[in-house]
This record gives sequence, structure tokens and C-alpha cells, in this order.
Amino acid sequence: MPATLLDDYALNSPLRNKNNQLKLGLVAAALLVGVSSTSPVAPLFIALSMSLATIRFGKIPARFYGELILAPLSFALFGAAIILLFFGSGPDIFSFNLLGHQIGASAAGAELSLLVVSRTLSGMCCLFFLALTTPMVEIFAVLKGFRVPDSFVELSMMIYRYIFVFLEVAVRMRHAQAMRLGYDGFKSSINSLSILAGSLFLRTWEQGEKLYIAMDARCYDGKLSLFEENRPIKIQELLAASGYVTIIAALAYLSRGTCLF
Amino acid sequence: MSLLETKNLSYTYPDGTPAVREVDLRIETGEKIAFVGPNGSGKSTLFLLLNGTLRPSGGEVLFCGKPIRYDPRSLRETRRRVGIVFQNSDDQLFAPTVRQDVGFGPANLGLARSEVEKKVDLALEYVGIEGLKDRPPHHLSGGQKKRAAIAGVMAMDPEVMILDEPLSNLDPAGSEEVMELLEELNQRGTTIIISTHDVDLAYRWSDRVYLLADGKVADQGRPEEIFGNSRLIFGSGLRQPMIMEVYDEISKRELAPPGKKPRNVPELVGHLRPPDLRWMRVPSGTEVGETIYPGRTENGDPLLDQSGEVRVIHLQGGRAVVEPLHRPTRIGRVIVYNTDRQDDQKLDGLLEDGTIDLVGVMGTRSRAFAERHGICADIASNVIDKTILRALCGDAVLILTNGGMVEHSRRRIEDYCRQSGILIEVAVINGKALEER
Repeated sequence: MPATLLDDYALNSPLRNKNNQLKLGLVAAALLVGVSSTSPVAPLFIALSMSLATIRFGKIPARFYGELILAPLSFALFGAAIILLFFGSGPDIFSFNLLGHQIGASAAGAELSLLVVSRTLSGMCCLFFLALTTPMVEIFAVLKGFRVPDSFVELSMMIYRYIFVFLEVAVRMRHAQAMRLGYDGFKSSINSLSILAGSLFLRTWEQGEKLYIAMDARCYDGKLSLFEENRPIKIQELLAASGYVTIIAALAYLSRGTCLF
Repeated sequence: MSLLETKNLSYTYPDGTPAVREVDLRIETGEKIAFVGPNGSGKSTLFLLLNGTLRPSGGEVLFCGKPIRYDPRSLRETRRRVGIVFQNSDDQLFAPTVRQDVGFGPANLGLARSEVEKKVDLALEYVGIEGLKDRPPHHLSGGQKKRAAIAGVMAMDPEVMILDEPLSNLDPAGSEEVMELLEELNQRGTTIIISTHDVDLAYRWSDRVYLLADGKVADQGRPEEIFGNSRLIFGSGLRQPMIMEVYDEISKRELAPPGKKPRNVPELVGHLRPPDLRWMRVPSGTEVGETIYPGRTENGDPLLDQSGEVRVIHLQGGRAVVEPLHRPTRIGRVIVYNTDRQDDQKLDGLLEDGTIDLVGVMGTRSRAFAERHGICADIASNVIDKTILRALCGDAVLILTNGGMVEHSRRRIEDYCRQSGILIEVAVINGKALEER
């Protein structure tokens, strides 16, 4: 595998072995509180605590986590800058003249942009917490638990598995092409890429046939066994989770309407 | 009654290409069978016929004396009893985790959940990867994947386990582990069938070998019979097992008794015979390790029928065990013929006067050349090594080759002469300059 994927971190995270429903519930609650909060205090607290939990308890390398969060954060900051300059009314905090136009930021605009950034950040941190501690293979069990149709779950299980098989095939093909200068210049890159896509499609077709034989050889009868690990929620875990949700909810309630500017 | 049997089994692909032609197999319970044959000889197709995945276009497959039937119910039963492990583990491991994959078979047999879990744990423990059961297959190494695939078939308790190229893409340690696992399974009573190109493995491991060529059984029998038939083996694009080759060479040199075919290194070593040791009288004052030239005793009797120096290994009274340092050998010679510059008269002359014992052909162009001239190659692979070996046994060998390989062969043989101190005469015909050495 060329690079480690999110899923690989999740597979090795110690939090993988915690009850999935609990994790899911916790993240859902934090997500809701974060995006519905009217002040940036609670979302910022959620972002911070979720990041800490991911790095500390989930054993995710801080550097990797930082890089991961940087991408959505830069988007959010860019959006926030625009909100800061063009939205809100009231007394300006600062203003400047750009080509004869008076552009300035009001306190309300500042408040709004901070809120947007903090909400985005809290949402992202919550989702990353889930993504980095719950591998796909656990999600299938959760889906099944939520009564998602079997055929859908089974199909997604196989698709998940073969993503990696074909990823490897694609990487190998790409290397083979690059080795013979297939990506030397724009035109040949386009050409090579189309060949790669085409042969990958044929490969998936072949693999499908082989898969059918392989399943048949083991008496396929419409059952893809799914072992949902029985992981009872420990009382401490439940208490900690509900405590956390109470704290963030209280924080959001108490800090409602708080202005920082 | 045989466990698995085929009668006149044939299979033709939908496009009309025959893949398996009139194959008769007879496999008994508990046997270890190896199918060897070149690529495209129909091994994989034959395997898919054996568990009912493919329907024969002629003949039949019998399991426990009864022909297998192709209704869904009977097929399930056949597939449970005849398990197949595919060559590429990724074709077989389709579930997101190892445990789910191994549980696939038992779950589809309709076993209860706890029963399935028990079988899965048992199989994983047996193949030694119980610690990896929650891993997705793409986190496993090649050897681990292979073992997971074997566990998946094992969990269904098959009576026959068929493995298509079980060792392809495995490192030596991984191969060894898989082979041990198969040995263990066999000890438990599972009949094991493998296909392989690895002649060393097939020779060492199997009870019986089926040699497949062109969709037909070219021969079958005990490994020493099959691999001992060098004509058949080379004709099928295979080579002799290394052990057998080594044994043949040392038995020709009378370092091992002829006619016994060792199947592994210890057996080979067991057959080794010490070189010509003999008792002789030695002059007083001789010490162990000393090299003496026997010549004649004081009485004038010849001591040895051979002349030459001997080394004293053991002393007892006036007699000693000695080892001759020079064994009289008849050394053959080598002629390297450059097929790039054709001189048919010279070649015909060489071949007709009967001094050449063997012909070796090296290189694609030379092979075509040999075919054009109707010359049958005695040595077709690993030509230089085998030429040296044959020359050491006193044969005259003609090598047909071309281009840079002409010089290369001469150099290799001369290097060997320099290192061993044995002189093999090498002549190059049509080389840059005719060199006689």
C-alpha cells in the first residue's frame, strides 16, 4: 500500500474495541450540540476535547491529525474571511480603502465568521474522531444493527474489500506505465490514464467472475456471515459519555448569545 | 473404491478450445497428489471440474464411487467435501475481515452461529493466525493470506483439499510453513491435491505425481518414476528435481550406489559413499596426514594398481588406510559452435564422424537453427553447467550457440578448469578466431 489510509489508523486504534453504538451516539450528540450552538464557546470546546480524545485515547499521531484537519480548516478560514468582510452591520472594528471602495469588518461580521469557523471545526473533529476510531468493518455491523437491508450491507462489504485489491492493481499498473514513461507529458498522461481505467474495468469484470466461482466453491447460499462483536457498554464509559454530553450541552446553553467582540 | 475418480473426463471451453482431454484419475483416501505440468496444461480447469464448478463436456467425475450430480443440492454436498484453495488468495478472500471470510463456508452450510464461531476459531488456530482474525485481508502478508484462504476451506471439513499453486508468490519460509500445514492436514486424514511447477517440491512431498501436458495425463506414478524419466520431463517443459540431478551425478562418479533415488537431502547424504579408501602397507615412520608416493614395497611388489600419490588417513601397525589424491578420470571435451556464421560442412562433419556424444543448444536463434537442421538437443536448459558435468564424465559435447554466448560459454568452462585444476578441452568453431585450447 502506498500510503496509510484513515481506515488503517482506525483498525489499529485502541478505541476500536469500544462499543460502536456508544461511540456513534456520543459523536451524534456532540455534532448536534456543536452546530446548534449560537456562540463559538461550546463548538471550540468540543473541537478541542474531541481532538484530544482522538490523539490521546485513539492513539493517532498528532502530526497526522494536524495535517488531516488542516485541509477543511483552510476552507473554513477562507469562507470566514469573506463573511468577516462582507457581512454584518454596526460599528466597524477596522476598515480600509480598496480601489475607492470602503471595505470594513463589523463586530457582528467578526462574531459570525468566528461562529462559522468554530462550528465547522467542531463538526470536523467529531467526524474525524469517529473515522479514526471506527474502521469500516465495524460500520458494517452497525449498519446491520440498524436493519439496513442485508443485500446492501453485503454488497458494501465486498465493495470495501475489493477497493483495496483494485487499488493495488491500479498502483501496480501505474508504476508499470510510469516506468515506461507513460506519464511524461500531458498527452501521454491522458492516454495512459485512459488505458489504466479501461484495463482496470476489465480486471474488475474478471474479478467478479472469479469471485462468483470462489463463493460458489464454498457453498454460497446467500449468507455472508457478519460477526458483530459483542461489546457491552461498561458503566464507567456510559457515565463518562453522558457526563461529557451534559457538559457540552450546558456549556452551549449557558453561553448562548455570548459575544466575544 | 477410490475416493475421487474420473473417467474419460473432457472439457472444452465455449470457444471450442479443448482444455482437458480424456483424463482418467484415481485418487485414494489420504493420498498426497501433485499435478505437475507446464503453464496451460489444464491443471486449473481440471480442478474446477473436480468440485463441480465446471460441467464436463465428456466423461464423468466420481466421488466415493458415485458420479457427481449437478443439481444445486448435490453440488453443495460435493463442494463441501471437495474444497479448493485458489492460486491467488485475493480471489478467495472476499470478506472485509479474516474471521468473516473463514466463517463464510460454515455459515452457508447452515450451521448455528455458535457452531460457526467454533469452527472459525479452530481453523484459524490451526493455521496459526488466530491473532489476525479482525484484520482486513489487505493488511496480511502473502503467506498469511494463503493461510487464511486455507482456513476458509478447512472450516468446512472437506475430505479432499485441492490447492492450485499453493506456493506461488510465497517466500521460502512462507512456503515451508504452508507445506508443513498441508502435511499436518494430511496426517489428519485429508486427501491433499496440489498443482505446482516446483518439481523439487513435487518430488519431495507427494506420494504420487500426475504429469499433465496439453490437457492430457502424460504419465502418472511415484515421483521417482515420473521424474526419473528425463525424456518425458524435458518434453513437458519441466526439469528434473535438483536432488535427483545431484544424485545422478554423484552416482555416475561412484560416490553413491546407483539405482536408489533419494527424495530429500538427508536421504541423499545417507547414500553417499566414501571415495576409494584402501588398506596398504606403508614404510615405517609414516605419519597420519602425510602424502606418500607408494611406488613399490621393499619386496618389489606393486602396492596399488593405480599410480599416483596417496594420503594416509589412519595408521595401524605397519598398515594404513590411504586415500588416493588423484583419481584417474577420462575427461571429455567441448566444442562450441557459433551458429551465426554457418558452415554446414564443418557441422555435418562433426556430427557424422561420431565423436560427439551430446549436443547442447543455447539461445532462441540457435534453437531455431538446430530445428532447421534436424538436430535434437540433448541438453536444452542450464547448458553450460550440464556440459561441464558431462565432460567430466568423459563425454564430448557440442554446444550450438550464437552471439556473445559463444565467448561466454568458453570463458565459463575455462574458469571452471582454472578453479578445479581439471583440464577440459574447449574448441570454438566459427568464433572470432578459431581457438584450440
